[in-house]
Amino acid sequence: MSILGLSYSPWSPIFWLLASVVVMIMAYFFRRRGQKKYKKDTEQTKIFLCGEEVPEAKQRHIRAHNVYWGFFETMKEYYDANIKAHTGIINDYIIWFLVLIAISAIILFIVGIV
Amino acid sequence: MVVASLAFVEFLVIILARDIYLNGLHIYTLGASSPNLAIPENYIVPVRIILEVDSISIFMAIIAATVSLAAAIYSLSFMKGETGQNRFYTLLLLLVAGMFGMVLTGDLFNLFVFLEIASIAGAALVAFRTKFADTAEGGLKYIVISTVAALMVLFAIGIFYAQYNLLNIGALAHVMQYTMLDKIALVLLAIAFMMKLASVPLHMWCPDTYSVAPAGITIMLVVASYACLYALFRTCFTLYGVSPDMVTVGWIVITLGMLTMFVGVTMAVFQTDIKRLMAYHCISQTGYMLLGIGVGLAVLNRPEALNTYGIAAMDGGIFHIINNALYKGLLFLTAGALFYRTGTRDLNRMGGLAHKMKWTTIFYIIGALSISGIPPFNGFASKLLIYESVYRFNPILAIVAMITSILTLASFTKAFYSAFMGAELPEYQEVKEVPKSMIAGMAVLAAGIIFFSLFPGLIVDWLAHPATEALINQGAYINGIIGGG
Repeated sequence: MSILGLSYSPWSPIFWLLASVVVMIMAYFFRRRGQKKYKKDTEQTKIFLCGEEVPEAKQRHIRAHNVYWGFFETMKEYYDANIKAHTGIINDYIIWFLVLIAISAIILFIVGIV
Repeated sequence: MVVASLAFVEFLVIILARDIYLNGLHIYTLGASSPNLAIPENYIVPVRIILEVDSISIFMAIIAATVSLAAAIYSLSFMKGETGQNRFYTLLLLLVAGMFGMVLTGDLFNLFVFLEIASIAGAALVAFRTKFADTAEGGLKYIVISTVAALMVLFAIGIFYAQYNLLNIGALAHVMQYTMLDKIALVLLAIAFMMKLASVPLHMWCPDTYSVAPAGITIMLVVASYACLYALFRTCFTLYGVSPDMVTVGWIVITLGMLTMFVGVTMAVFQTDIKRLMAYHCISQTGYMLLGIGVGLAVLNRPEALNTYGIAAMDGGIFHIINNALYKGLLFLTAGALFYRTGTRDLNRMGGLAHKMKWTTIFYIIGALSISGIPPFNGFASKLLIYESVYRFNPILAIVAMITSILTLASFTKAFYSAFMGAELPEYQEVKEVPKSMIAGMAVLAAGIIFFSLFPGLIVDWLAHPATEALINQGAYINGIIGGG
């Protein structure tokens, strides 16, 4: 019931979870062997920003429009073209619909002849 | 009362599903002396309204029942402050009726009628909260595209009726001549249903509509669009079946599926409105389903390829429908929960909400990991089925599908970081977790995701594979009507 038969190899989430538990136990074991000097609620747990003063929560939260900035700059031409096509005008939506019907009909017609 | 009735519907659907799994296809002829009497005495063709329920129909009915139940539970608190509650729940039940009618009917004209019922109820529900400026626009867009699509469906039905004097799907499939008019009808039906399921480049209405609808209604609109996906499958596999045109149609579906996947996900990453982001993902995930089913269509005439990987691709595509209904539903509900407490859909204005909304955060993580195809969640299982089988058909298609999955993860990581992570923001100091009924609505879908994640073999063997077999086996569907059930 849990195993999904695939052509190359089966997939079993139960085995995957068991393997994950083993890995987590190992990670916990190695972590326990680590630094013992850590103390909660002291200077050790505060944010370190190269000695600079840490800004307020509101200022230091990176907002959504800044995330993946480099990706969007690299793909600028793709996004410019795509956003231009998304006009938000319902007439354009219907034009796309009619164009796709026409193209599909022509393809089926040509294939039918060939 | 609405929740109790939908829970009862869910119970009935599960009983019917079990019966169909054990005994095969069922027909129900309305108004006949016996439910199995598809063709009355002195007639040679079926004339009454006939419900014909096979494994793919009941598969879709399970999705509709489960998601509707979760949506109704969630809406109890979400819509509490709104006026006109009676009308809201009446429309909600009408939408449920429309979806059930679409997936259970064996008659093309009934399919059109139920499509209209679902569209009108859906548009009214999108525009229900008139206090928001953008809801009327969303509702208008939904009703316009739905009406145009439904008109094309009606035109195609007219073509069939003029040629064959028939409206029953099984009876039409039995006498189909594949004339030029039939090809035109095929194009009209296929593209109209693709418009309704928001396939690229016919997807642009989807973010405009889904983002402004109440969260409970958004997830029902997703299922309504899957009812159109079902109608597309029914048209291609059952109505037309094995014909030379199906290879071409298969490739058209694959091409649109790839475009849908890639354009959907790249537009999603760019969004800063959480519901628009999720709406674009909804489009993107539909691409996976079209890809899986498109491969099945393209090899329908080649039995060896169909058995080697075509059926597995279809299993994956169909398994992905139910998975997506669950995790996309859950994600839309978490977006609704964020809006309910913060009053905004703008990710730029959110942050640190995990401190205040722990249940919502957990549900978001479950949904996001699942849609991104991270093991051991159910999204991984269905995507793996699609990757493996599609790779054998054409490796490039599988690679694009994997890239799409990576971008999906990137997109949901962005939304997670923006809304939930970071320090508590001063403006959200007073924010608290959403009411219990909204948590319960999300929990229904989250429980489904966990169950499907743990037992993918069970779901594929009992639900997805029988649905695939029902689509491929055109003869069984025709025989259900012509053979008298």
